[in-house]
Amino acid sequence: MTSIIKFCALSGALDDSPHSYLLKVDDFTFLLDCGWDEKCSEGFIHELKKHVNKIDAVLLSYPDQLHLGALPYAVGKLGLTCPVYATVPVYKMGQMFMYDWYQSRDNMEDFDLFNLDDVDNSFDKVVQLKYSQSVPLKGKGQGLIITPLPAGHMLGGTVWKIVKDGEEDIIYAVDYNHKKERHLNGCELEKIQRPSLLITDAYNTLYAQPRRRSRDEKLMTNILQTMRGGGNVLVAVDTAGRVLELAHMLEQLWRNQESGLRAYSLALLNNVAYNVNEFAKSQIEWMSDKLMKSFEGARNNPFGFKYLQLCHTLPEVLRIAGSKVVLSSCPDLECGFARDLFALWCSDARNSVILTSRSGQGTLGQRLHDQRNLKSVTLELKQRVKLEGAELEDYRRREREKNILSGVNKIKDQTAAESSESEDDVKKARHDIVVRTDDKTSGAVQHFFKSSKKHPTMFPYFEDKIKFDEYGEIIRPEDYVIAESEDHEMADYSMEKPKWEEEPEAECPTKCISTTTTLAINASIMHIDFEGRSDGESIIKLIESMKPKRTIVVRGSPESCQALQNLCLSTGSSDNKAFIARKGETIDATIESHIYQVRLKDSLLSSLSFGKARDAEVAWIDARLTYQAEDLRDLDDKENISLRKEQAPLLEPLEPKDIPGHETSYINELKLSDFKQVLVRNGISSEFIGGVLWCCNGNVALRRNESGRVTLEGCISDDYYRVRELLYEQYAII
Amino acid sequence: MAKRKSDVPVPAEESDLLVIRPLGAGQEVGRSCIMLEFKGKKIMLDCGIHPGLSGMDALPFVDLIEADQIDLLLISHFHLDHCGALPWFLQKTTFKGRCFMTHATKAIYRWLLSDYIKVSNISTDQMLYTEADLEASMEKIEVINFHEEKDVGGVRFWAYNAGHVLGAAMFMIEIAGVKVLYTGDFSRQEDRHLMAAEIPTVRPDILITESTYGTHIHEKREDRESRFTGLIHEIVNRGGRCLIPVFALGRAQELLLILDEYWSLHPELHEIPIYYASSLAQKCMAVYQTYINAMNDKIRRQIAINNPFIFKHISSLKGIDQFEDVGPCVIMASPGMMQSGLSRELFEAWCTDPKNGCIIAGYCVEGTLAKHVLSEPEDITSMAGQKLPMKLSVDYISFSAHTDYQQTSEFIRLLKPPHVVLVHGEANEMNRLKAALIREYEHDPDTQIRIYNPRNTAAVELHFKGEKTAKVMGSLAFEKPVEGQIISGVLVKRNFKYQIVAPSDISKYTDMTVSSVTQRMGIHYSGNLQTLQAVLSHVSPDVEVVDSDKGLKTFRLFSAIDVIVDKTLVTLEWAADSVNDMFADAVLSAILKCESLQGSRTVVLPTTVDHIRFKECLIEMLQDMFGDDAVPKVFKGDKFVVTVDGKRANIDLTALEVECNEDVGFQQVVQTAVLKLYQSLAPKAEKV
Repeated sequence: MTSIIKFCALSGALDDSPHSYLLKVDDFTFLLDCGWDEKCSEGFIHELKKHVNKIDAVLLSYPDQLHLGALPYAVGKLGLTCPVYATVPVYKMGQMFMYDWYQSRDNMEDFDLFNLDDVDNSFDKVVQLKYSQSVPLKGKGQGLIITPLPAGHMLGGTVWKIVKDGEEDIIYAVDYNHKKERHLNGCELEKIQRPSLLITDAYNTLYAQPRRRSRDEKLMTNILQTMRGGGNVLVAVDTAGRVLELAHMLEQLWRNQESGLRAYSLALLNNVAYNVNEFAKSQIEWMSDKLMKSFEGARNNPFGFKYLQLCHTLPEVLRIAGSKVVLSSCPDLECGFARDLFALWCSDARNSVILTSRSGQGTLGQRLHDQRNLKSVTLELKQRVKLEGAELEDYRRREREKNILSGVNKIKDQTAAESSESEDDVKKARHDIVVRTDDKTSGAVQHFFKSSKKHPTMFPYFEDKIKFDEYGEIIRPEDYVIAESEDHEMADYSMEKPKWEEEPEAECPTKCISTTTTLAINASIMHIDFEGRSDGESIIKLIESMKPKRTIVVRGSPESCQALQNLCLSTGSSDNKAFIARKGETIDATIESHIYQVRLKDSLLSSLSFGKARDAEVAWIDARLTYQAEDLRDLDDKENISLRKEQAPLLEPLEPKDIPGHETSYINELKLSDFKQVLVRNGISSEFIGGVLWCCNGNVALRRNESGRVTLEGCISDDYYRVRELLYEQYAII
Repeated sequence: MAKRKSDVPVPAEESDLLVIRPLGAGQEVGRSCIMLEFKGKKIMLDCGIHPGLSGMDALPFVDLIEADQIDLLLISHFHLDHCGALPWFLQKTTFKGRCFMTHATKAIYRWLLSDYIKVSNISTDQMLYTEADLEASMEKIEVINFHEEKDVGGVRFWAYNAGHVLGAAMFMIEIAGVKVLYTGDFSRQEDRHLMAAEIPTVRPDILITESTYGTHIHEKREDRESRFTGLIHEIVNRGGRCLIPVFALGRAQELLLILDEYWSLHPELHEIPIYYASSLAQKCMAVYQTYINAMNDKIRRQIAINNPFIFKHISSLKGIDQFEDVGPCVIMASPGMMQSGLSRELFEAWCTDPKNGCIIAGYCVEGTLAKHVLSEPEDITSMAGQKLPMKLSVDYISFSAHTDYQQTSEFIRLLKPPHVVLVHGEANEMNRLKAALIREYEHDPDTQIRIYNPRNTAAVELHFKGEKTAKVMGSLAFEKPVEGQIISGVLVKRNFKYQIVAPSDISKYTDMTVSSVTQRMGIHYSGNLQTLQAVLSHVSPDVEVVDSDKGLKTFRLFSAIDVIVDKTLVTLEWAADSVNDMFADAVLSAILKCESLQGSRTVVLPTTVDHIRFKECLIEMLQDMFGDDAVPKVFKGDKFVVTVDGKRANIDLTALEVECNEDVGFQQVVQTAVLKLYQSLAPKAEKV
């Protein structure tokens, strides 16, 4: 029954590159996460390419680039065809992440590593699951059951449990958060006991973060100070994961009348803000108990924002008057509106930039994080602009020539084209995610029914009441403003419009330009941790209580990997093993297991005396194994003989004289503090002095050493025997 | 507790009897409440009230059970006949188990029952619960997502989508390998906002299904929708008012979607207002807008663009006082069976005018006005007690999303459960359904399906002889099992699963740990060491002298018990264990005895066996045993003879062997006596 378990890291080994690992259980190969770094580096893709045909299933844990960024590429360009398993929010938010990422990239350069169709195709492969839903795999994976468990960190975040034949449980837990947050419950790793194999990351093993309260306060004071100083705050966050926590928190701040923030504006800016918000609204059941309760009780959707404005373009945000706080993606400042805003705002000392997470090597976010006193930064700013003048003419001419050329071909295979066209249409229709750039209702409470007010049956004409003051009719300055920038903005709009609205590219020819500028950094730059991962100390506690038999350590600096490995070796029993994953190296984490099934005879069961230990019952069993089942004994046809062989052996009770003796086992672990309670209940006084429990005025002493061995010491007396009796009651003695 | 009925009392946990007992909804519709008992686990499915009755009468027969023994309570959906008694059960009984429902059900349950409390026009002392009870009950209800697996004390269960209404669930419950599917109310037909009930991927052993519509077959969805819209069109065209009594939540949302669509397709109707008179629905709007994940794919896709639950042609009506009754209109009002409330008031106000019409769109329970008017009576009795002539047209179009015969039969055919228990149906419908199902499988030798339709409180008893299997793990299983092998180990039983492991493997395969206890007991001892050693050597077969670290004299007895002598204190130290405890007690009493021996005479440690003394003793003993005549008074050498009843036994004193050819029994008796005597006299070191 021993399963061969092999593990190979494609990325995320001994460094902070994204998660992507191959796990082979017997013949079945899982790809655990499929992340891509901020720069879309090729190296990892080569690794993935080698193995892509062998992968039988992909398990995704979180919706961000770090965990599924390369999925569209793998499906679109590498031809990954296997099913992908993810929770519902990871599926929905993962799409948002990818759309936003693609769009952000496409807004500044010709991005061709994957397109939106690849994103859609890859997410079509996703099997959407709920937490604790067991999925038995079929075919090669017969006997394997996968279950997603809550992990915190991001909406729908998953710790995967893979169970082989009901015995070997493999836990894949990275980036989890054990703490309850505003919008999420923590992970439930403490419920997992003694997994056969734990695959976990060491990213935070040596990392300590300030308390949540102080981080919140820091953010709050920074915002207030900047607002009062007339500056703007850029909060660099992700697209649809951690942003929810921040958006919810800031909205609450704004709602609080005493915060004094109402005078300022709060905005969420990314390409998919409307959809992120809508999806968040419809996934309350995946959020924290507190939010769920408040929704059940007051029917207030926590993501029905009153103050947070949803913006989808840069001009939209810039139009907001006065000081503002803008939550924008991406957190690494490598692309997206956050980068644009950074370039725009960083030179003004009144502004401030808040980085909410650490990002990968070589990114702007990381540079800002590591070099606190960076005074200036040289950036390559890329932009997509509309073709103008001669260039446009040139483009049009070329386009025409192309059309003439292709026109000949078109006629040739028109029939084929037609059929494929209709297919295309179907595909296009699937892009039902529509960004409503001018949505004004999202913040307000929507009305279920049409307004019951009756309108007079006449052509709607609204008479403006003319207001007068002592100088006559009041002049509205807006009426006299010359429409200046309107045209320009319109152009921006069409440029920014997402591709999935099927804007024909030919209509708006664009090119990408790139300029390298050196920007002075005068704005205050602050790093406040809103990553939502467990800190080092808690990770240690969790692993100590989990006591994994085998551990594979992935992603993290060499030192922290080493630290985690040592920890895993020191907890639990001596035959524990812990490995540090190295890129491309295969780790054999096979666990020798010896298991077979037996059937229990009723007479055997009824002869046992069970003792209680924790939530289980235990008994000593002495029995004889036999293949001669009673019900089959007298039948001798061949069919039955073969049946007998297939059936599990039967255990039957021994004759009393054949029962061998056995050593007594004390099952359970005693906590002296618990035992003190027991003594109190039985009217025996006791107190702790220097870790020793003294009972009956010091006549009897109880000690417990490190290995859990309990020593009962005392002079011969009645008390001694009474305490001993109570002590025995704490164990299941068999 | 176990009854003394059978010869051996079987604890409930080990019994293979599975009992299903409806406490409500047995051959009736309303107050669903079904008890499931197996392996000592008690599970209640739904806890509803009877809509036709009030106060305590409306409750299911919960007085037949002990509320505090119930482990688990599952609520299938938010209709009153499935959850109406829940606040009462959670707050007013001794129930201390856990209660689960889906997210949407819980959110609506809160407002639906609050509304129920307000509209039920009975005196407060008859009220089963108050708003405060309802509020408090929210704390005790836990939520479960569809497909999410939960485990409560070994009972594993998960939910499937049931169609019917938003959040409606079918529960699959697994106890010790036996699976029971409780459908609650379900519908296999997809409609405008809900998906069809899912087909479970695992086959249940028992199916507890509703049978509301018995052998009826529903009209096609398109037909009934066009009949519905046609009827309304006709009523408003003739200048009448159209009343549609509906249950505030559930089917009403479906009807609203239909009406809104029809009105937008017929501009000529725009003049005629549609009202939905339900503040409850208004309240639950947010729930419908939020839990779209429980709806069908169409709605889930649409939500990304706009919200289908924002209506263009339907206005909300707070109460009857806001309503100007001036001309043709369409009103949807609750409650659905016109027991009381707005729908009742409107019906009474409009029933005298033949132009008006009433469309009953859902299922009606016996004893309600809605059921009564379907029989087209001449007049009805108003709530005030006066008789009103009934002239308005009454039509019945079933929109209730309950399964019909076609769907039920298909459902059963797909699942092929060996046992089907029918609940939630009038006796006649149920009997018809039972007969029809039996007929269906009459000539099918491959499928054995037994169908039950228990009355309320009548139990269906089924036997599931679950074969108990255990997994032998770890070092016990290193070698392949062979015939006759003896397995000794620890049997761990948890949640009806058994494992057998070696004690050393316990911590490896379970989360339990094996502990050890060391005992150290001090006794005052003032005698000398020699005496002690002498006495101890009599107690234990061997006395090992161990070097102690502190230079103290330490003896190890029985290879387990250390006796440490430190001046006047003797300490016994041993690892606790039932055998060692016994040895320790023996050693202890020896030491105590030894102290009392002090001063009388010095016991000298015998180093060799005194043969003369052994002989003397032997003679004395045998004389005691067999009489003076049997044993010779004196003898020489190492052999002598015992004669009893003419049987002679030869004793060899050097070899300590006894020979007797005539009687084996006698030989053994003598042999034992000789050996025992020798052992008691000889120190162990000098074993022969």
